[in-house]
Amino acid sequence: MRCGAEEHILDAARKAGLRLPSACEQGWDLACAVRVLEGRWDNGDARRYFEADREAGFALICTAKPLSDMRVETHQRAAMQEHRRALRLPAPRGAWGEVP
Amino acid sequence: MAIREKPHAQGKVKAGDVSQRVGVEQLEARGINVQQLIDKLIDAAGAEFTTYYYYTILRVYLAGHEDYKEICEDARLEDRAHFELITPRIYELGGSIPYDIREFADRAGCPDAYLPHTDNGQHAPSQPPTAAEILEVLLEAERCAIRTWSEICDITFGKDPRTYDMASRILQEEVEHEAWFIELLSKERDGVIRPSGHFRRGVPGEAPYSKNAPFYNP
Repeated sequence: MRCGAEEHILDAARKAGLRLPSACEQGWDLACAVRVLEGRWDNGDARRYFEADREAGFALICTAKPLSDMRVETHQRAAMQEHRRALRLPAPRGAWGEVP
Repeated sequence: MAIREKPHAQGKVKAGDVSQRVGVEQLEARGINVQQLIDKLIDAAGAEFTTYYYYTILRVYLAGHEDYKEICEDARLEDRAHFELITPRIYELGGSIPYDIREFADRAGCPDAYLPHTDNGQHAPSQPPTAAEILEVLLEAERCAIRTWSEICDITFGKDPRTYDMASRILQEEVEHEAWFIELLSKERDGVIRPSGHFRRGVPGEAPYSKNAPFYNP
């Protein structure tokens, strides 16, 4: 899919017809977490995002803009929660964005 | 004459067993993951509680805009009412709010509604926040709450009428709050009238859905 440089990746995904999990849509609750396999991104619009998140390759696509072509693995909320817990960093615990 | 069967008189939970809850068993039988629901309710309660706290600060910095202050006060007190409404349901389901308030705040499901120009609450404001800046913080906090309670309505609809009823009441007030702050911000920042359609509370924080027609703590 294509995403503009000033566009949040989740918005572009929706325009492309992809249905991905999200909840707060403010870069906070990790519902939209992805693991970045390739590429660079800017998560500066997220309300809570740590350098350790970036180093571990997690992005919150509701508030992330691409800085290059990217390849990502979606549905990484649980993995990112575990990452935060292991580093004793704050995170909601609920399975946000997962609606049966 | 044969004794009539009473199909609901017994179930999986043994008579006198206080370690199990039929109120939980019945949700699981209908496909609710109760632990996941409890986790979401705790996150949501944390968000209502922290929002109540931050709205206290935001409200006092609306000095001189007494009309906005009053409306902020309604939203502030109603968010506190939501916390009060959610907490008993968490315990009914067999859960507990965290024993450390820091853990509670850290796991809140919505962002901290910091006062602008404080570097996310690190210091007093470096310049006086404008009313528009404060109204924007209030608006985005309400929007997160709407997304939160919509999701809880979705997962409980048709399966858990008690939690659904609670979530629905809270959602209705959050939707009203969003409409208020759209109206105020639109006029204050953009000079555009976008009426909320309603603007009335009898007393501050009346909470017409979550407090004044209660199913708990009347």
